[in-house]
Amino acid sequence: MIDVNRLTAAIPRWCAAMHAAAPELNELDGRLGDADLGVTLDKCATLIAQAQPELPDSLEGIFKRLAQASAKASGSSFGTLLTVAFMTAGKRCAGTQALGRADLATLLGEVVATLSARGGANLGDKTVLDALQAVHLAMADASEEEDLRRIAIDAVGEALDAFRDKPNRIGRARMFADKTIGMDDPGMVALKRMVESI
Amino acid sequence: MKKILNDPDAYVDEMLDGLCLAHPELQRRGDGGRVIARSRGAVPGKVGIATGGGSGHLPVFLGYVGEGLLDSCAVGNVFAGPRMDDCIEAMREADAGAGVLQLYGNYGGDRMNFDMAAEMLELEGMQIASVRVCDDVASAPVTEREKRRGVAGLVFVYKAAGAKAATGATLDEVAALARKANDACRSIGVALSPCVVPESGKPSFTIEDSEVEFGMGIHGEPGIWRGPLKRADALADEMLAHLLPELALARGDRVAVLVNSLGATPAEELYILYRRVAAVLGAEGVTIVRPLVGRYATSMEMAGASLSVMKLDAELEAMLAAPADCPFWSVR
Repeated sequence: MIDVNRLTAAIPRWCAAMHAAAPELNELDGRLGDADLGVTLDKCATLIAQAQPELPDSLEGIFKRLAQASAKASGSSFGTLLTVAFMTAGKRCAGTQALGRADLATLLGEVVATLSARGGANLGDKTVLDALQAVHLAMADASEEEDLRRIAIDAVGEALDAFRDKPNRIGRARMFADKTIGMDDPGMVALKRMVESI
Repeated sequence: MKKILNDPDAYVDEMLDGLCLAHPELQRRGDGGRVIARSRGAVPGKVGIATGGGSGHLPVFLGYVGEGLLDSCAVGNVFAGPRMDDCIEAMREADAGAGVLQLYGNYGGDRMNFDMAAEMLELEGMQIASVRVCDDVASAPVTEREKRRGVAGLVFVYKAAGAKAATGATLDEVAALARKANDACRSIGVALSPCVVPESGKPSFTIEDSEVEFGMGIHGEPGIWRGPLKRADALADEMLAHLLPELALARGDRVAVLVNSLGATPAEELYILYRRVAAVLGAEGVTIVRPLVGRYATSMEMAGASLSVMKLDAELEAMLAAPADCPFWSVR
């Protein structure tokens, strides 16, 4: 279950994980794209940490503040997707004090749909969407006793394993898709570092 | 990393400060100063043209704000798209009541933020059209041309659209001309050495001293092949071989050509490339008008060059010839 206290407590760990992962994510992104994924998440984490002391007392309010902070930090593609994901979560949490397993599963399904519509990637393109979808499906199928964090970490790990030997189908990587076989998608790795941290 | 800077995190803002001090016809606007606009403000009655994109490419993107060119630019961090709020502010700065054309390179972050900005401003009643430049043939196959990225060809499309807007044309007319210019333009780049994103401090890619990356993107995205560096004439021939088939040039056609440095490559080497490009096009019976050779769209200190060719009709040729003035380029 996620409530205001748990979400608030998770944010500093998320920020620390993004700072720590930045060099790894820059390096992975540099093999496929413009090498700024770590820089982007590092900037988002800095502004989100600055917002921490004055976070509102509702899930809706917190997610909206996270969206504002990441929108202010970066207009890069991954930063914008993060903003859109937080905005979607904020809207979904209006009037809600806690998210259980089933609520989270539904929320993640909506986030996947919104990010696909905004960003243009489809499931199967080997992007962060495929890993998010894996978490969505695993949450939906899990029993009430299971640890949500464990489910998410396992699902992202399985998505990375499932897609490692497939080609990236979007972005500039589509031009050298075969060379991306065997490589982990940087966005999926970013999500792995996120779920490990919270 | 070896760069002239004070603080990697201040790279963009200190660059903007200096640029506006050197060129007082441009000013920083918006919360955070991440919008560049003409100091004199929007031109009454003229369609506004707003662009935007990451830093690290000067003169692209913000350097083409000026007379007969663009009205405003939303400025992102190095190689990162502009924020939505800055896209909104740039469009407001460009708006003089005749509508605003969003004209920018086809990159994911830029597109998402300009799309969201347009959705917000349409609620306020702003008339908006959107054209994404996609001239880089190495970034997607021709069957998915609309997914290609925008590189140095942006300069020709900016110039043509800016000139059209200056004639007092309507938003639909300016957008149609921008689309026509984009459809007529193709580019490809080669890279010899990487650049360093200041905040990461590491080269964006690694390449052997003896190698060239053929088809590399303007942010160091991998290209079509990597191998031993060829002679300049062979490189020019291969670049043209990627551009010309899509333009279907015939004897008697006229083209604009841009041989562009990605940053570190000197003008001398650009002219060695241009020599061959002019010879090949001449042999095909194609006339080059208004060749541009120099630094027009860069990737900071990356060594390499790009070649852009735009097939002209009478209207495009007239628009490229119209007067224009910005900090990096004047047409008289």
